[in-house]
Amino acid sequence: MLGSVPTTPKSLQDYAPVVGEEFVQEIRDLAAPLAGARVLHINATAFGGGVAELLGSLVPLMNDAGLRADWQVIRGSEEFFQVTKAMHNALQGMLIDWTPHMREVWLHNNLLNAQLFDEDYDFVFVHDPQPAAILGFIAELRRHHPAGYWLWRCHIDLTHAQVQVWDTLRPHLEGYDGAIFTLADYVKEDLGGPRTFVVPPAIDPLSPKNAELPEDVQQSILARYGIDPAKPLLVQVSRFDPWKDPLGVIEVYRAIKREVPDLHLVLIASMAHDDPEGWAWYERTVRRAGDDYDIHILSNLNGVGNVEVNAFQRAADVVIQKSVREGFGLVVSEALWKARPVVAGNVGGIPLQIVNGKTGYLVGTVEECAQRVLSLLKNPEKARAMGRAGREFVRDNFLITRYLRDYLRIFRELRGIEPPRRESAATAARVLD
Amino acid sequence: MYGTLAIAPRSIRDLAPVVGEEELAELDRLARPLRGLRILNLSITAFGTGVAELLNATVPLMTDLGLDCQWQVVRTAEEFAPVNRSMYMALGGRHVTWSREMADVWQRYNAMNADLLTKDFDIVVVHDPQPAGIRSFVDERRRTAARWVMHCHLDISSAQENVWLLLRQHIEPYDAIIFEMQSFAPSDVQAHGIEIIRPAIDPAGPRNMDLSPESVAAIAERYGIDAARPLLCQLSPLDESCDPMGAIDVYDLAREAVPDLQLLLVATVVPEEPLARASFDEVARKAMDYTGVSVLSGLNEVGNVEMNAFQRAASVILQKDLRRGFGLWVSDALWKERPVVAAPRTGLLEQVIDGQTGFLAESTEEFSRQVVALLQDRSLAARLGAGGRRHVRENLLITRYLSDYLRLLGRLTGTSGKVGR
Repeated sequence: MLGSVPTTPKSLQDYAPVVGEEFVQEIRDLAAPLAGARVLHINATAFGGGVAELLGSLVPLMNDAGLRADWQVIRGSEEFFQVTKAMHNALQGMLIDWTPHMREVWLHNNLLNAQLFDEDYDFVFVHDPQPAAILGFIAELRRHHPAGYWLWRCHIDLTHAQVQVWDTLRPHLEGYDGAIFTLADYVKEDLGGPRTFVVPPAIDPLSPKNAELPEDVQQSILARYGIDPAKPLLVQVSRFDPWKDPLGVIEVYRAIKREVPDLHLVLIASMAHDDPEGWAWYERTVRRAGDDYDIHILSNLNGVGNVEVNAFQRAADVVIQKSVREGFGLVVSEALWKARPVVAGNVGGIPLQIVNGKTGYLVGTVEECAQRVLSLLKNPEKARAMGRAGREFVRDNFLITRYLRDYLRIFRELRGIEPPRRESAATAARVLD
Repeated sequence: MYGTLAIAPRSIRDLAPVVGEEELAELDRLARPLRGLRILNLSITAFGTGVAELLNATVPLMTDLGLDCQWQVVRTAEEFAPVNRSMYMALGGRHVTWSREMADVWQRYNAMNADLLTKDFDIVVVHDPQPAGIRSFVDERRRTAARWVMHCHLDISSAQENVWLLLRQHIEPYDAIIFEMQSFAPSDVQAHGIEIIRPAIDPAGPRNMDLSPESVAAIAERYGIDAARPLLCQLSPLDESCDPMGAIDVYDLAREAVPDLQLLLVATVVPEEPLARASFDEVARKAMDYTGVSVLSGLNEVGNVEMNAFQRAASVILQKDLRRGFGLWVSDALWKERPVVAAPRTGLLEQVIDGQTGFLAESTEEFSRQVVALLQDRSLAARLGAGGRRHVRENLLITRYLSDYLRLLGRLTGTSGKVGR
């Protein structure tokens, strides 16, 4: 068997104060006919990244709903993980040199993992491209499609996928019973075989990054970084690369600073040690900030973790996500959930999270961004109203409970179970309208 | 030009409530003759614990004390990374392949970086050996205009010979070489001056600032730790040098006496490169066999505030082993009045004084016995905790580090005593 990942138990009931008793009951009703169903999630890593974060919440919640969910990670050589990293980048539109050897490495490691697969499940989720070929190999080894429904869960945007790499992957997806994408736009037209579903990602309102923060912790953190809570604060949390436009954020701040002299800006960089490009952008950003110490540039590599991110987002008067290219951009929902108005680039999944003019503003240029941020700083009443609306919008659409419900619905649909009579108004479909 | 860093200004006055006025007055007295002294700190990275953390804390404080203190990062490229890593491992005593080509790459990058020194400084402090060759390649005028200090934050006493032979010809001409402990220096090092400056913790930093017990419990619980049950915690790099697997064995034995015990292993270093990742994964896999064991790291976006809370939530802190270095994270725990059970290794012996600030132990059985004793005797744990905080206040705070540095700078510039050459 593959390596099983332990998760911290969670109780659905803890979410009732957040999403309401009725919603929790709806989940229980949906789960009732699925009680005891064995669910397996297979992905490449137990740590780091959005997928692991989601599974860390989803798996224990599925268990609490009465299913028997498990999460296992594939094993692989170092070379395999290098190859799948390249593959992942290529599928997101980066041009790489995809060699026959890389294809071999990917397939061989999938075969080895298929040989380790020795149990049966009712529903199996295979996440992202790394382990995607495992189903084909298991079917080959057993000479038939393994038991249960097999779902390929794609968390990445395949719209600009490098053709060679997609052509390598595609045939291995055809045997799946379903394919789940993050956005309707991400569904690949030429993927024949599996039924397609759309389930946008979600945040866990009780995770360390999103849960309510004790007041003294928040105050100490701000004090430690010399930020006066009485002064206006802008915050962006993102990787430092051209697509997240940290330099543009500094321009926005400068444009507003002329009118709001006590303005502060916190930029939190999320970086990897082995990413020289990230370091180059970090430095460029630091140089652009120059001697202006009202610009605070922090990074995860200096020990800024979930609690600090949580504190800064909560302290912000306006949260910025000035992306010029974006995947889903779930960090926007994190900020909205904290009842912050968000001004963000009109790209990727951001327009799904920001209802322009209601929960924040969608912008393109620095000027537009600065103008919207300034209008919010000048009109705190409006900013508060937007923040409140943002929190409600996330409550309805982007919490882990909605995500769990979407999966339960897919299970029922695959098994042909009729929907229960009562259903809440908010659906993933509505989000996509 | 070297890489620029984001360093926010900071007032030394922030430390007054912790260390008292007298100590600040002493720092001011030491700094007065050094006001305006132009100091360049050079390091290999802006990130991580250790050097970057010390510089982040001390550079703005030195500036506040009136010195003209800068911190910049040397320029490297992808080609340098494996050489840097191998050199680091070789100096730490692990055997690596060190070829002629690698030595050439190392010298070439040091020579290129020497050309980037375009401003004048009175003192250049080079942190860590990887950029230590710069001095040899700097033009004559700039080399002689400044005093050069090599601050070695590694234990290089058992360095691989060929790497040490290369390094020593570049560092021995320095005006001073700083080691964290005498025993971290190679026995055959010859220098104008060997200085011993132990590392220190910043009591006002996010990893050590005060947190209320309610906040500690709230943060710990979000990570699945039950704040009401006894907790063992080891916060260290999670590779074999700190024996995290052994920590699990200690937990396993101790829970025979204390069944509701929990163990939390927190990696102080994000395990990103393949070797670190492999040993981290191994620990994580072993932890899966126990419901009471959690493994967390920067990969879960655990940061300084979380580490602070976890140490405070712990009933006993473990440090199962320490093959190299000082193990300063133990001082973070002592500062929080946590009793520590640690292996009797050089760096740890500076922090854990048997029976006063914690206990020393070697075998799993010994560790487990001490842990159980501390879990069962709260007043003993409290007494050791108080002793630990006192010991850190007197010896391992950032103010003591600053005063060591100011004294050294005074000697080097001849503003007090004699320069060491």
